[in-house]
Amino acid sequence: MTLSRTHILALLTLYAIILGLRILVEVVGPLGPITGQLLTLLAFYIALGQAFNIFLGMTGYVDFGYVAFMALGMYGMASGVVRAYEAGLPGYYGIVFGLIQTITLTSLLALIVGGIALRLRGAYFAIATISVNEGLRYLVEGLDIWEGSRGLIVSGPLIRLFGSEGFSLLATIISDIMVFSVALLALVISIVFLNTRIGYALKAIREDEDAARVMGVNTTMYKVLAFTTSGILGGLLGAAWSFKVASIYPPDAFNILYTIEAIILVMLGGAGTLAGPIVSGTLYGSLKYFLAGILPGFQLLVFAPILVAVIVVAPEGIVGALRAYIPATRRFIA
Amino acid sequence: MLEVLNVTKRFGGLVALKNVSLKIERGERVAIVGPNGSGKTTLFNVINGVYKPDEGRVLFEGVDITDLPAYRRAHLGIARAFQIPRPFPNITVRESAAIGALFGSYYGRIGVREALEIADEKLKLVNLYDKRFELTGRLTVPELKLLELARALASKPKLLLLDEIVAGMPPAMVDHLMLLVRRVADEEGIAIATLVEHVMRAVVRFADRVIVLHLGSKILEGGPEEVLRNPLMEEIYLGRRWSP
Repeated sequence: MTLSRTHILALLTLYAIILGLRILVEVVGPLGPITGQLLTLLAFYIALGQAFNIFLGMTGYVDFGYVAFMALGMYGMASGVVRAYEAGLPGYYGIVFGLIQTITLTSLLALIVGGIALRLRGAYFAIATISVNEGLRYLVEGLDIWEGSRGLIVSGPLIRLFGSEGFSLLATIISDIMVFSVALLALVISIVFLNTRIGYALKAIREDEDAARVMGVNTTMYKVLAFTTSGILGGLLGAAWSFKVASIYPPDAFNILYTIEAIILVMLGGAGTLAGPIVSGTLYGSLKYFLAGILPGFQLLVFAPILVAVIVVAPEGIVGALRAYIPATRRFIA
Repeated sequence: MLEVLNVTKRFGGLVALKNVSLKIERGERVAIVGPNGSGKTTLFNVINGVYKPDEGRVLFEGVDITDLPAYRRAHLGIARAFQIPRPFPNITVRESAAIGALFGSYYGRIGVREALEIADEKLKLVNLYDKRFELTGRLTVPELKLLELARALASKPKLLLLDEIVAGMPPAMVDHLMLLVRRVADEEGIAIATLVEHVMRAVVRFADRVIVLHLGSKILEGGPEEVLRNPLMEEIYLGRRWSP
């Protein structure tokens, strides 16, 4: 797939529509069924899919511990804010400090786990990453890091640092825009990857790793690069999301459900495609939101057969299937 | 240019290569002949870095490359065309060939655009240019072998390791392919080592020199006609003549 200007323009338009809607809703209030909450959810799932796609979609490796990056991002940002509050510093110091912590922690985790576990293939890699996630969770609880199982309270310090009005903006529209920026950043990085040597290396690895090595691809380096990039983006997503939660508990932060959702988003949209995450994020987010209203408590039960159907009918994902069966779409959908 | 010095490679109790030494000069064409299990493929794997030898060294242009990983050797200009083509089924023919250019001896010196241009050029050479936007997975087996060759040539190799790529191809195409390889190699001064399992005149005639492996050891070396006439060849392939 060679990216053209049309592809990039189409992608940016889709992003602009959702971001525009979110701002519009903030200004004029809900547009029928389109509420701020719905758009928050969409932004989250689009960002999650787009960030995870850089690793899962481009290399074909399944990281079952992806949520650990989000968890470290949430803790990194929240503990930065709490520390600034305790030290009597202004709020934005906390946010800057939180970002630094997020990037440091997630890149460290990615380099350590990637350097070791990326030597494993297929199911072995998936199992190793599950263990890392569970291990980290019990480490946080057991060593009582970040208040351990008592939970790290975020909303209190945030309210005192930014005032209650500032906090409510931060927890809604501002963090939504941050989440959206993560999605956009992931998209831009994906475009850069695809248009350079990196994208070709990752494709070769996804297709046949042994052959790729013989052809001159430093497979380890490119795998670690994709893993780290995707991990840091996951951390930034967690950091942006942390403004919305009152307190952070290890079982919630390291909940494997988010990893599973990330996998679903990438596969549903089309692994390795650029438009996949925005399509699947919108679809998955909307279904989840509306099903919660129509059939509260049953949404996952309704969702499962829909997913099974998509996977059976179009294993290459929605965007993949569009490109395969309707050649005309190839000109503008990447 | 390539020197293999006293290489031994074992897999558990099996000795796949026993103290093998050989030399390939710049622009030379060498056929490595031997029956199934003679160690030919292991030798190739030692040369391009898939395996590390247990003993002995491999030198390329005077530099000891024994401890270099496979991908670094590709950057130095050692390319391999696989016997069982290793296609990248879900990417296009053009992209597959471009991967050869991006990560071969041009590594770090060209961008995607130049790599795609080189890919187009090599695809024209092997007559696959019209299929450049097809997915690799849709090619027929002979076409995959042509693509394998195009990809290897796109990497601008100094030494091209050809697995028995002509195996299973129609005879007319074998001649065409070998002539093509010969022409390109001559033009660009590429040294070629090719594996031959079944003694095919077309391939042996193509070589300047023939090296015969048997049970992991080098047993014969010389000009093609001389080697083929040697009674040992018959023995290797058909067994020892019974004599009362």
